[in-house]
Amino acid sequence: MSAYENPQIPEGINVSPTHPLKDFALLLGGVSALIVVAVLALSFAAGYLVRFVPFEQERALASSIDADWLKQSHSADDKRREQYLQALGRQLAAAMDLPAEMQITVHYSSDDTVNAMATLGGNIVVFQGLIDTVDSENALAMVLAHEIAHVRHRHPIVAMGRGFTVMLALSALSGVGDGMIQQWVGSMGMLPMLAFSREQEEAADADALQALLRVYGHAGGAATFFEHVAEQSALPEPPALLNTHPDTDARIARIRDFEQAHIRPDELALKPLPDFVKSDKTDGTDPD
Amino acid sequence: MYDLILFLILLVLGYVFGQIAEKRHFRSIIQREAELRDVLCFTERNVPEMGRIDSALVCGSVVISIDFFKKFVAGLRNLVGGRVSAYESLLERARREAVLRMKAEAKARGAKSVWNVRLETSSITKDASQGVAAVEVIAFGTAVTPR
Repeated sequence: MSAYENPQIPEGINVSPTHPLKDFALLLGGVSALIVVAVLALSFAAGYLVRFVPFEQERALASSIDADWLKQSHSADDKRREQYLQALGRQLAAAMDLPAEMQITVHYSSDDTVNAMATLGGNIVVFQGLIDTVDSENALAMVLAHEIAHVRHRHPIVAMGRGFTVMLALSALSGVGDGMIQQWVGSMGMLPMLAFSREQEEAADADALQALLRVYGHAGGAATFFEHVAEQSALPEPPALLNTHPDTDARIARIRDFEQAHIRPDELALKPLPDFVKSDKTDGTDPD
Repeated sequence: MYDLILFLILLVLGYVFGQIAEKRHFRSIIQREAELRDVLCFTERNVPEMGRIDSALVCGSVVISIDFFKKFVAGLRNLVGGRVSAYESLLERARREAVLRMKAEAKARGAKSVWNVRLETSSITKDASQGVAAVEVIAFGTAVTPR
């Protein structure tokens, strides 16, 4: 037995010498970057391809939308408001070079949400809350034209196509890891999508201003609604990256610039809203 | 948001306590390896001719759990491939601890050497994706005591 000896073996032969935190930082950074790049590429590809879906197909898809504002029982007043909005929508759409097959359907909702939205199939909803906020037809037309511009650029279906693709990809990817990874993958994947739709908002603003200029001869009153929103949100805004809409101040500034650039003093009069479109909740003073 | 905070707390706890436990364990392993250096281990199956001997089966087994931090890092590593250094140190500890326990048992019998030493590894809670996994290493061999 004396022929054998048991020397001390140096440490660290079987373990990689990297520091665990360094390993962690490299992996986390690398995987996050990969996910962001992959999601960007996928959502770009999806957004590009989904434009080839014919508009009729999109309308058929939209008929499956099951939203409150589609089946609301309208009173006679509401019907008048909806007809007014549809006429305004047609007038704006005519000024916006929509493709021949593209139809805009404006819906009215008596909800007091201060908003309007565009969705699949050229459907646009205007909420009473928005109408009560604006003080002229020009301001309402700006918001409506903004939503029509979204439809014209096919933003709703692009957003849906991107959303589905990214969701599918992320759920496939997170199936590889486990619960914790899934959470991380999910939160990293949503960042670029928000950034993309901010560009769309800016494009829609630009189109809407052009439409306003064509219909009314000037873009006065366009910023009203956004100024109202800015006043209402006394809270500090989240950083621009996390916000879907352009930073409100920057947006108002852009719209104001446009107004100034196309000013015609003789035609600056804002067109008042018809009396019946305001809800009873506001005091309904004469807009003149 | 709260999920993320909870997750970060678990990650930090896993890292701090996991590292403390690992450092302490390695210190203890190195110290006991020095104490048990006179017990020799061989993988040779046949005990060579050395006169009259007593022989007995000795074994040492250990179960070591991974921590939350190691699990997360290994999960990320699963996505890209490569050396899972978080688990390498875990298995190193388990192997050396198992051999040490086997040697300690041999020394308690007065043995000077252990022959035909084998190591086996098995994973506990292998498929439970939510549970925290643990690894078992068992070392066994024939302890030989000169009579």
